[in-house]
Amino acid sequence: MSSSRVAVDAAPARRDGSGAVAKLRRLRTEYARLGVPLALVVALLAIAAWRVPQLFTVVGLAGAILVAAPLMLATMAITPIAMAGRGGVDLSIGPAVGFINVTIVTWLVSAGIEHPGLVFVYAMLAGVLWQLMVGAAIVFVRVSPIIVTLAGFMILQGLNLVILPRPGGLAPDWLSDWGYGTTLFGPVLAVLVGAFLFWYAFTRTALFTHLKLMGSDERTAFACGVDVTRVRLLAHLIGGVFIGLAAICQTALIGSGDPTQGNQLTLQAITALVLGGTALSGGRGGALGSVLGATAMYLIFVVLSSFNFGAISGFMTQMSYGLILVAALLLSLLGTRPGRDARVAA
Amino acid sequence: MSANSGAVAPVASSQVPSDPAAHPVRPARRGRLRASHDVKAVLIGGSLLALLIGIGAWQVEGFASANNVRSILLLASFLGLVALGQTAVALVGTLDLSIPFVIGAANILLAWLFATSLPPVLAILLVASLGTLVGLINGVLGFRLQGQSLIVTLGVGFAVVGGAQIFTSLGSEFSGTVFSEVPDWFSNIAAINGTTFGLPIPPVILIWAIVTAGTVFLVSRTRRGRELYAIGGNRTAAARLSISEWQTWLGVHALSGTMAALTGMLLLGFSGGGFVGVGDPYLFTTVAAVVIGGTSLLGGSGGYGATVIGVLVLQVLTSLLVGFGLGFAAQQAVFGLLILPMVALYARAPSVRSQI
Repeated sequence: MSSSRVAVDAAPARRDGSGAVAKLRRLRTEYARLGVPLALVVALLAIAAWRVPQLFTVVGLAGAILVAAPLMLATMAITPIAMAGRGGVDLSIGPAVGFINVTIVTWLVSAGIEHPGLVFVYAMLAGVLWQLMVGAAIVFVRVSPIIVTLAGFMILQGLNLVILPRPGGLAPDWLSDWGYGTTLFGPVLAVLVGAFLFWYAFTRTALFTHLKLMGSDERTAFACGVDVTRVRLLAHLIGGVFIGLAAICQTALIGSGDPTQGNQLTLQAITALVLGGTALSGGRGGALGSVLGATAMYLIFVVLSSFNFGAISGFMTQMSYGLILVAALLLSLLGTRPGRDARVAA
Repeated sequence: MSANSGAVAPVASSQVPSDPAAHPVRPARRGRLRASHDVKAVLIGGSLLALLIGIGAWQVEGFASANNVRSILLLASFLGLVALGQTAVALVGTLDLSIPFVIGAANILLAWLFATSLPPVLAILLVASLGTLVGLINGVLGFRLQGQSLIVTLGVGFAVVGGAQIFTSLGSEFSGTVFSEVPDWFSNIAAINGTTFGLPIPPVILIWAIVTAGTVFLVSRTRRGRELYAIGGNRTAAARLSISEWQTWLGVHALSGTMAALTGMLLLGFSGGGFVGVGDPYLFTTVAAVVIGGTSLLGGSGGYGATVIGVLVLQVLTSLLVGFGLGFAAQQAVFGLLILPMVALYARAPSVRSQI
């Protein structure tokens, strides 16, 4: 009977948002979700302050923003998709970012299209189009999201290597200039702030409430008159916008094209998503958590690199990402009641 | 036996894990549906295979030569052995994404162990049991998470391959690659020029054939085998029949880990040198083989016999694409394009409209 209670709760909370009790309850659940990533980030910042003090200079922070931005935006991109439920974590995120990165460097640059506005429009359009294709396959073909995105991963990973067989090429000049990262309030930070404002505006809409309702219980949402097809497609569309932004920041960071980054970015983004308190079973989550999760991932990388592991440092990072992902998933179990969130078809 | 399968079959075809009271089971009709699903899977897979072989023999020179057939079967036996685990996991409704990492880890670990004074047979047993252990860890950690357990296996996989690389590169300057002597009898099992009792057939092909026959027999004729379908079909109903979901869940994951470790070791015999990236293609090819064969990823329908067809389809298609001059990247894209329509044929989720 828990499903009907969700519906009854959700409606008044929306209409009667000013009610002090309702607001307090909402804030409490919100903080419970963010508690783990926040504590982790604070702890990691403390370790970083001890191990890597140069991180806390202007240049250090500017570099940190530059390096962490693609992961933050990629994690934000898969947040609405995971919130939409059906176990829909987007495995194709890494190759999708890679695809836009590779095509900016090859197709756009060779066609002479280097105007910032055009590149932005292209990146976001490509991201949105890809996500709409994924969303359409999920909604209309009714194949489980994990399979669609797995197939998407293979298709794009292969396509990227066909378009650009090995890392290379040059980003448009203005985009490469972003990658120097010498000022704190640079264009990458502006993109991040813009993305966050966009997310904030999204959370103010009825669509966001519908998304959460659909993610927690699709049948109830459907029975309450929510157009679940439209909501799911729009969740993918919003994810696509963030994919475009992530690809722009990634291109700025590496200043060239790299078709092989897919695996790593997918795993990191999923880990950051889970760390940030977004439930892979759907219905709960947000961009703030995702950004905190991505920050934690970046800090882990920084702290690990400060130890001298020599030749095995890459393996150490790989192993710790894996362990953190598992630990974060197990931690996420603590917040759920057994049997309720567990029954999600893969 | 007939009473047993009669009790399980109607349950197995119901793919909506929900309150059984809301879905009155109609035994006769459901039973027929399940049979028709299997027939459809074999028909589609079989005709796809025949079509591909036809195109190959017609368009690619030397496609039907003994050498090419042997190499297709050899590569198919690696994929087939590791896809056994993926099929078992898929039958209970999840996936094992740690497979490529376990393959890579087993591969370099065995190469490293061959360089020590440990007897080769013991080394192989040790790596196989480590694979089982990784599978058990996957099962234990993922059980409560169910639908998200495949993300657990992804994390475990990364941890395992990272750990194996750290272990094998301690005190070595070639990180990630391990050099050692592989015993002749071991490489004979999996090498393309391997012989079985003097016949020019690598023994691993025969091993795969025996494993296939054994698996198909055990799954269709033993209680444990039928339980797999019951749990994949409807967990609540299976629990009412006193079937332990926990044991089956652990079992399939342990099997998957073991098969991945075995395949990783066989690939060492095939290539002769340890390389951690050797498992990478198997993440998607195992899933693709399961799906193309017709095992529903929602759990409860399909089987290893179907996966064998899927494995052959994939391997023949690979050979065909190589014959047409396509590189690995393009092959991957083609496989990805193939998965979607195949899943759409077998495992479409019911519309939300019909679930209320």
